[in-house]
Amino acid sequence: MRRCCSISLAISLLYAVALGESRPHYGGTLRVAVKEAPASIDPGGTAGASFLASFVFETLVRLDDRGMPQPHLATSWQAESGDQRWRIFLRSGVTFSDAARLDAATVAASLRAANADWKVMAAGDAVIIETASPRPALPAELALMSNAVARHENAKAIGTGPFLISQFDPGKHLSLKANDQYWNGRPFLDAVEIELGKNYREQSALFDLGKTDVIEIAPENIHRAEAAGRTVLSSRPFALMALAFAEPPKSADESHARNALAMSIDRTAINHVVVQDGGEPTGALLPNWLSGYGFVFPAGKNSEAARREKLLARRVTPWTLRYDAGDPVSRVIAERIQLNVRDVGLTIQLAISGASDLNLLEISPLSADARVQLRELASALGLPAPKLAGSSAADLYAAEKALLETQQVIPLLHLKSAVSVRANVHRWNSSASGEWRVEDVWLSAEKP
Amino acid sequence: MSFRRRLLVMFALTVLVSVAPVALIVSTMARRALDRANDERTVALVAQFRREFNRRGGEVARRIQAIVAAPETNRMTVAAAKPSPDYSPFLDDAQVLADAQRLDYLELADDHGTIISSAQWPAKFGYIETLIKPGLPSGPFLKHEETPSGAELGLFVVHAIPVAEHKIFVIGGLRLDQSFLASIDLPAGMRALLYENLDYASDRFVREHLIGASGSPHDPMAFAPIVQQVLRGGKEATSIVESDNGEESVDAIPLTGDDNQVLGVLLVGSSRQIYAELRNQIRSAALLAAGSGLVLAILLSSWLSARVTRPVEKLARAAHEVAAGNWNAHVEVFTGDEIGQLADTFNRMTGELLQQQDRLVQAERVAAWRELARRLGHELKNPLFPLQLTVENLIRSRELGQQEFHETFRESSTTLLAEISHLKTIVSRFSDFARMPQPQFQRVELKELLENVAKVYQAQLSKSNISCEVTTSGSIAADPDLLHRALSNLILNAIDAMPQGGTLRVSASSEQHSARFEVSDTGKGLTSDESARLFTPYYTSKSGGTGLGLAIVQSIVSDHGGRISVRSELGKGTTFIIELPSNAEKLSSAWSART
Repeated sequence: MRRCCSISLAISLLYAVALGESRPHYGGTLRVAVKEAPASIDPGGTAGASFLASFVFETLVRLDDRGMPQPHLATSWQAESGDQRWRIFLRSGVTFSDAARLDAATVAASLRAANADWKVMAAGDAVIIETASPRPALPAELALMSNAVARHENAKAIGTGPFLISQFDPGKHLSLKANDQYWNGRPFLDAVEIELGKNYREQSALFDLGKTDVIEIAPENIHRAEAAGRTVLSSRPFALMALAFAEPPKSADESHARNALAMSIDRTAINHVVVQDGGEPTGALLPNWLSGYGFVFPAGKNSEAARREKLLARRVTPWTLRYDAGDPVSRVIAERIQLNVRDVGLTIQLAISGASDLNLLEISPLSADARVQLRELASALGLPAPKLAGSSAADLYAAEKALLETQQVIPLLHLKSAVSVRANVHRWNSSASGEWRVEDVWLSAEKP
Repeated sequence: MSFRRRLLVMFALTVLVSVAPVALIVSTMARRALDRANDERTVALVAQFRREFNRRGGEVARRIQAIVAAPETNRMTVAAAKPSPDYSPFLDDAQVLADAQRLDYLELADDHGTIISSAQWPAKFGYIETLIKPGLPSGPFLKHEETPSGAELGLFVVHAIPVAEHKIFVIGGLRLDQSFLASIDLPAGMRALLYENLDYASDRFVREHLIGASGSPHDPMAFAPIVQQVLRGGKEATSIVESDNGEESVDAIPLTGDDNQVLGVLLVGSSRQIYAELRNQIRSAALLAAGSGLVLAILLSSWLSARVTRPVEKLARAAHEVAAGNWNAHVEVFTGDEIGQLADTFNRMTGELLQQQDRLVQAERVAAWRELARRLGHELKNPLFPLQLTVENLIRSRELGQQEFHETFRESSTTLLAEISHLKTIVSRFSDFARMPQPQFQRVELKELLENVAKVYQAQLSKSNISCEVTTSGSIAADPDLLHRALSNLILNAIDAMPQGGTLRVSASSEQHSARFEVSDTGKGLTSDESARLFTPYYTSKSGGTGLGLAIVQSIVSDHGGRISVRSELGKGTTFIIELPSNAEKLSSAWSART
């Protein structure tokens, strides 16, 4: 862990040097605009954990850039009984933002609330987790924000994170202030002001007007933003854009038609022109950089094969494809798919509301651990949980292949996520799964 | 129909026959003139629409020129000049340029026809625009454009930008839709509709494809025939269409593409409502004038016909009076024309008739007195002669012995008394005829009446060897005594007519409103002359008759409101027929009078 921190500090220092600042200093308010408009910051909320929860709440484990579990609120963990029983040792000296000490009972209660099928017990300074089946990736699962530790008091969630909520206007605005009692040292920033529910265009406008320091950049605008001279920090392609069927195929005809659909889509053109290379074409659920075998699943357009499959499908009813009406890129991608399938004799009707056969989805990454990410993707797509026979890449491949063979999902692209930061923002960092790490961020005086 | 009405109808028909053609001619000429004016207006409006259409095309061309000069287009041409151009950065440029130039359609394509950027269908990048081929249209043209929501009809202009040895094509246009139609200034009473022929293979009319400036017309099917006519023939057509907008003169213009396919049909409708109203006003005025003239003519005709027919009617009434027996009828004469002469002649005729009647009455009266005198003389002479002989014999017997005188005196006294009695009988009969009483009506059973009459004469009939047949039924309102008397007279006449015996048939029958009596004998019958004079008073064909019997019968029958007739044939017999009304009302009035 120490080595990891050293590397991180070194990178931050290099970044600071590059920006002409050599020494971080305290103070200042970071202004951020985001697209997400959560109704709650509570990681155990019904709407799921917001990535913004990482400002206030922390997990027992964090994943590094390679997806390896690293200690955070937990110092170490130990598997017992063939990965069905895990003993998690807690860090001492950690306090919640209200100065209450982090203890095993509180952690156990938080984990029980987030995982109904787990049996969680406090055992001294450790927490014991028992599961019905072996879970070799349980430490990585503990890194999910949904498993962040939260203590509820008076219907209010309290975390151990570097910031605490000073004001929250659900869906509109979130004000955070520094947690002076933060166990890992007070953050440099005094406060963070986050504008919620701003689309990319609004964010860009706020940025240009100097009203925000950090904004999200749409994948298709990454190159444009860079060309415009903005500082853009982008991730590896990780968010999955896919077509998801509402139901499995009901006949061999429909199965052939779905094969034809998957093969008719020109993912390369979509990525290159529509997304402006803001991602990469894929036929897999997990990105190639994460799984190592993603290239095995064909992502290219194969019109001839698609036509052959279409010929095998004697009777096909037109599909209805629903897309996000508020996202112009989604509309263009949906229309492109409509054109592509028309070339092989299939028909797709577009819809922006109501029931549909197909949905064009974008699923944000949740974990840099391939096994956990695959499980979370299956859950998000309404697919059965993948059956992992072991921890090897072959086992992962077999599980992913099985999911794809349900023909309920057609992967299209893995998209990058990116932010544009103002020049006076230093040490901006995010995890591989997109969580922002702002405890080390500091602000320098902005040059006129 | 009266003469006056006939005259009135003739006058009215004469006026109608005169006025109706005039009204028809005026109405027809007015309609033709209005139709001609309306057609000219429609032609002018269609020409105006064509100019507007062309102006729009020029406007699209100007906007395309602006796009050609835009920096985005310039960057695109620079990229196109590279050996392996990457057009991905220009995906949104068409949309930006189209928005800036307010174009509904804009596509930028390279010289292979590959779409670089499309405003109407951004996802169509990389696809081939089939329009790009040798012989591009130089001016505005119509084209069906595919969009994600379906095919649409647009007015397009294409412009080629040379880039080294390559070209960039700018294809822009405006949608021919509701807003396009609404943006065209049209005079009041005119509207433009557009039918988009999205299915070349069929000339079937699809009502949803017909749009107007304010949306779909309420009655699109009204335009189906003319649209299909244009789709089939490919030529302009004109028709009168009755739609929700009223009656319209519709000019249908085929909108063809560069391959001469009918892509749509422009319908320029010019409301005929104003003309229809004007025509209706003229027609109403004509009808009003004709109607008023007709009414006036009828009124005048009434007055004239009344004026003309009044003397004739007076004449007719006078003639009726004369026919009814009033010969004193007189017609006033006011004019000296033919009618006046006719009235004067009529008056003179009635005067003459009156004089003739007076003369006739006097002659008849004299004749009657003569006949009465003759009859009285005859009747009185018969008993007077025996009286004279008896008195003379009595005088002569004074000279005979007492015994003989007494015997003669006794015989003469007897004879004298008998003859005097005969004279009294004669006088009594005349007196009875003069004093015929008015009938006293009551319910009379016919059977009972006839049986009573027959019973009276039963002995006499047997003695005369006459068989009697009586058939009867029903009842009647009558005076039974008078009726008994009348029937007795007829039966006595029948007995007298059959001195050698025979058959007497007496029948009576009643119906709802009348009763019929028949008394028949099988005697020698009557001649036609005798039959004609039979009911003349004091006429008799019998040697000892007074000629009053049948006169009394006729008087009784007349007093009962009936009539008597005779049917006789020589050698076969005579039948007297009495027909009486039921006189039921007299029965009730008689009852009221008694109570």
